[in-house]
Amino acid sequence: MSLTRREFLKWSGTAGAAAAAMCLGFDLRPVSSYAADLKILKAKETTSICPYCAVGCGLIVHTKKSGKLLNAEGDPDHPINEGALCAKGAALYQMTVNKNRMKNPLYRAPESDEWEEIEWDEAIEKIAKRIKETRDATFTEKNAKGQMVNRTTGIAHVGSAALDNEECWLLQGIMRAMGLVYIEHQARI
Amino acid sequence: MAGKFFFIDTTRCTACRGCQTACKQYKKHGVTKTKQYGTYQNPPDLDGNTFRLVRFSEHPAKVNSMAWYFFTEACRHCLKPACKKKADQILKDAIIVKDYGAVLFSKKTKDLEKSFKAIKQACPWSIPTWSKDEKQIVKCNMCYDRVEAGLFPACAKACPTGALNFGDEAEIKKLANERLKAAKKKFDGRGEILDLEDVRALYLITDVQAKYRPVA
Repeated sequence: MSLTRREFLKWSGTAGAAAAAMCLGFDLRPVSSYAADLKILKAKETTSICPYCAVGCGLIVHTKKSGKLLNAEGDPDHPINEGALCAKGAALYQMTVNKNRMKNPLYRAPESDEWEEIEWDEAIEKIAKRIKETRDATFTEKNAKGQMVNRTTGIAHVGSAALDNEECWLLQGIMRAMGLVYIEHQARI
Repeated sequence: MAGKFFFIDTTRCTACRGCQTACKQYKKHGVTKTKQYGTYQNPPDLDGNTFRLVRFSEHPAKVNSMAWYFFTEACRHCLKPACKKKADQILKDAIIVKDYGAVLFSKKTKDLEKSFKAIKQACPWSIPTWSKDEKQIVKCNMCYDRVEAGLFPACAKACPTGALNFGDEAEIKKLANERLKAAKKKFDGRGEILDLEDVRALYLITDVQAKYRPVA
């Protein structure tokens, strides 16, 4: 078989195209579907403190631009935990993102055996009203010896471990202003 | 990137399960419904939602006393992974090994449902599990996204006692030898590092291995 130069070029061109087509027939996708895409790379980092116990481990909380929580992990620069967290601290994410989380106060009326969901406004008003009632009813200006005490022993206050230092300060201020003497916090119990 | 290694010092582990939870939290894995079966260990074994598990086992120690053994378990990222060898016979490159040593089960393992049992059996520790949610074989992926960005895996980052460590080979092996010496001093000459030449997760234990985890 003799080929002219022109025919040779034509044929070799076709062969090249065929080879290229064969290549495209192969799967050109990368072998692995594992590509590194660090989800916290562009997230906003905010430092925070773990609310659970009195140790007070430092946290870095990663949030998306929309403000949605993405991840929470130990803060390596924090002197207390140096990046580490226990199981409770490591699970902090689910304190916010949790379908079991309660979003409204529950109210059980006297002598009722059922909890009903009520609005915050209603709950706060109820609490305020009862605090006022109880305080007025149990307030003692003077003790048995006649010394001025200005206190109420009808109400006790227990602070939640999820309160931070500043919140605790505010709360105990309010409680003392009302004359409470039984003021306690979870981290001390 | 240099080869990465885990070092687990069981003498320091308090079984707080921070590693287990941190893994779940970072990977956003759900929960597995379990029943109380007489131990703090939960869930009973690794599953599609649990890539790292702290195993609790109790054994009689001296008279009238018990010893409690804690063992945080995940994929050990073998230097020559038997799971990959097995899977390659069926479907090439369904399991891949990164240059720093992470053994990863890619999405190709979705096609390996029928061979899953064989692959699980190939693993000396029965680590791979079939995820019903993702419909593929899953296990610890060494937080490859974090490691490639220069961060610690979620579990090693969380460990508060220094039991679970992560780093480059030289650094980790040096630490392992130091801790081994310290352990031997404390536990009357007992102490060994498991599978030093074979895996990327070195365990320091001070008693027979069978007391720490069920041996297949």
